[in-house]
Order: sequence, then structure tokens, then C-alpha cells
Amino acid sequence: MIQLTKIHKLKEKKLFLLLFLISLLLSHMNIFGISNPAIMPNYFIALILSFLLANKASLNLFNLVIIGLVIDVLAGNLLGQYGLIFIFIYTLNLITNKILFIKHQSQIIALSIFLIFFSFITLWLTSETFEIFIPFQTLLIQSILTFIAFLFFRVIIIKNIS
Amino acid sequence: MAQKSNKGDLRLFNRNTFPIGTFFILFFLCSILMSFDYRHQILKKIRIEIPIIIDPINNLINLPINLFLESKDTFISKELLKEKIDRMEETIYSLSIQVQENQLLRSENNILRDILKLKKDFNIIGQTAEIILPEVKNGHSIITINKGFKDNIKEGSAVINNKGLVGQIINTSQRYSEIAPLTSKSYAVPAIKDNGKENVILYGNGNGEMEIPLFPGDTSIKIGDAFITSGVDGLYPKGILIGKVWKIQPTKSPKFNYILVKPFSQPTTFSHITVLNIKK
Repeated sequence: MIQLTKIHKLKEKKLFLLLFLISLLLSHMNIFGISNPAIMPNYFIALILSFLLANKASLNLFNLVIIGLVIDVLAGNLLGQYGLIFIFIYTLNLITNKILFIKHQSQIIALSIFLIFFSFITLWLTSETFEIFIPFQTLLIQSILTFIAFLFFRVIIIKNIS
Repeated sequence: MAQKSNKGDLRLFNRNTFPIGTFFILFFLCSILMSFDYRHQILKKIRIEIPIIIDPINNLINLPINLFLESKDTFISKELLKEKIDRMEETIYSLSIQVQENQLLRSENNILRDILKLKKDFNIIGQTAEIILPEVKNGHSIITINKGFKDNIKEGSAVINNKGLVGQIINTSQRYSEIAPLTSKSYAVPAIKDNGKENVILYGNGNGEMEIPLFPGDTSIKIGDAFITSGVDGLYPKGILIGKVWKIQPTKSPKFNYILVKPFSQPTTFSHITVLNIKK
């Protein structure tokens, strides 16, 4: 039984690493040749959220900060920015799970939408350009695209780790 | 033998699992890191010191197109190559005539400048590089070029192409450099109207245009007026084309107008640009 759990955890971590590398590559590419950076999902937020809500890859606060720092070095603008976003997501998810009993698929989707919005607001508030007032249209487009990316990651996780 | 038990573990609903202490420690750690990075540019230093971080990603992204171009060159026919060489020879010929004309104009200009006792400051010296992928980086618009600090590209250098100003170097690694396009939100450049009268600062609006948030309402400006670099900052040489006015909107204050400027240069991937040397 313990051996089986170890194999499962290793599989989860391998999948996380693979999806992380894919996200890294995708974050450097345009979708369908659209060069407007506003029309682009945030793959890293989608990835972390999908693993966090599926309760896979043993993500905790320390792991998330380290992953955030790696993302900042590879594709970020400010050291510590993604770490901060991820610990906020983790904590909010934890608090919500303590207050509410989230088990149903629609509840998970509603929670993911809320967390995506929250993480984008944190990302914009901590940006170097000090943009406090977010154009709602941009926020909406990016959130929808990130949500689609989240759904893709979720399907991959469910298909590969059951 | 009595079995040791932990009271906390025996609770049915263990409510003491919220890592509030860890959260605050990590929150402060991230905040301190962010402020340190903002002040001391740690991230840029890490990327410069460890080129292995960025180079493999850029290599991988450019791999398919490089392979395609290489295979295209391999299979190109002799006739096509001959045609290409003929066209290039024609271009060289017409350019060499233009150079002669330019040399004449330059020498005339020098004589006139000597008479008028004007300071000579027109030499544009730089090096050519090619724009490669990626053109976005995690939701931010950037221009990547295939030359880095190994080729003496320095951070802060101005970048131009045959149409006008392109942007400014913001990051350099060993083999690659990143340019902030002039339309990005973090970009500003001192400019002057092409009639040499109005000094302004143009800001990128992050939407493919540049803007002047408050332009004096009593100053004459019309759609199609061009802006060039004023050279007052000492970074950009004077006279480089920036863009032309394409929208004039009134603001809440009747004393000012809001001006939108469309850049002349629209650099595309795999086109060439020139990185200007920083004057000491």
C-alpha cells in the first residue's frame, strides 16, 4: 500500500514537471499568431490551480514559493511575485475549504474562477508599472483564457492520475 | 504496556492545521524579495550571470523556424539563387549612387555647420541584429534579438530600424537581448514635432500606440503631424522618426488635448534592427 502511494506521488510529480515545462514553452509563444500579450492565458496560474484543486503533487506553501521563484527567474518580471500569488491562492483555497464543503464539480469550477480573478488582481497590483486600475476587458479576456487552460490541465490530471 | 497518544491527532475535526505562521513568514519573504529586486535589479543580474536559464528556452522556441530556414536554403534552386543575386546587385548599385549623393550632402552640411558654428552630432553608430522569437513573454510584449553582451550589446541602448525608432534594450544575456518596444507601458521618449517646435514626452500605452496625455490645447497640431526624437536625453540621437499623430481627443480640461501617436516602425520577426552604441 505504501509502495503504491509512493508510485502515485512520483507519477504526480512527473506529470507536474512535464506540464510545467510545457507551460514554460507556451508562455513564450503567441496563440494563433496573435501578438497582443493581453490575449494570452497565464499558464502558470492555471497549472498551479489545477494541481492545487485536484490536491495532487503534494503542493504546500514552501513548495509553492520555490516554484514561484523558479517561474520568476525563467519568465517573470519581479523576483517573489509569483511566489506571493501562489501562497495567496493556496491560503484562499485552504480557507474556503475550511468554511465550505467543496466536493461537487460545479463548486470546484466556481472556486477556480474566483481564484483566477484574485490571482490576476494580485499580479496586476504587484506589477512594476503600478497599474492599480485594471481595464476590465483585459482582465476578463485573460481570466477566461486562463480558465480554459485550467480546464485543459484538469482534464490531463484526471486522465493521467486517477 | 501503555500506548503513547497524541491528543491533537485523536480529534475528530482537527482545526489546528492552518499554517498562519508559515503564511506570514513567506508573505514577508516574498515582499522583501520583490522590493529588493525592484531596487537592486537582482533578477536581471541572475539572468546575466547564468545564461543557461534563458538560452535553452530561446533555442528551443527558434528551433523549428531555424530548421525550416536551413532546409529551405539547402533545397533552393540554382535559378532562384541567381535571380536573388541579380536583384541584390541592382540594389547595391542604386545604393552606391545614393551613398555618393549622401557624401556630397554631408560635406555640404559640414561646411554650413562650420559657418553657422553648430555642433556636429549626427553619426549613427551601431550594430545590426535580427529579431527572433519569442515576441511575448508570459503576458508581456517583448522583442528578442540574436545578439547579447558577447556582441557588445549594452542594456539601455536605443534600437532603430529603417522606418524609425523601435525601442530600448532592457535585458541582455550572453547570446540574446530583449527590447522593450516603444509602445510598451514602461517606455517614454523625449520627442519634438518635425517642424522643430514642440518638445513633448511620448509614452507607450501598451496597446500598439504612443500617447501624449496632456498636450497644450492652444498649440497647433493636426492628424498626420510627425514626431522625431529630440535628443535632449543624450540617449537617442536627434532626428530619428518615431510616429505620426492619428487621433486628437479633448480632455476634461479645455486647456489640454489627448494625443495618440502611431509608430512608423512595426518591427516583425526575422527582420533586422540596429542597436545604437551608448555615447560615453
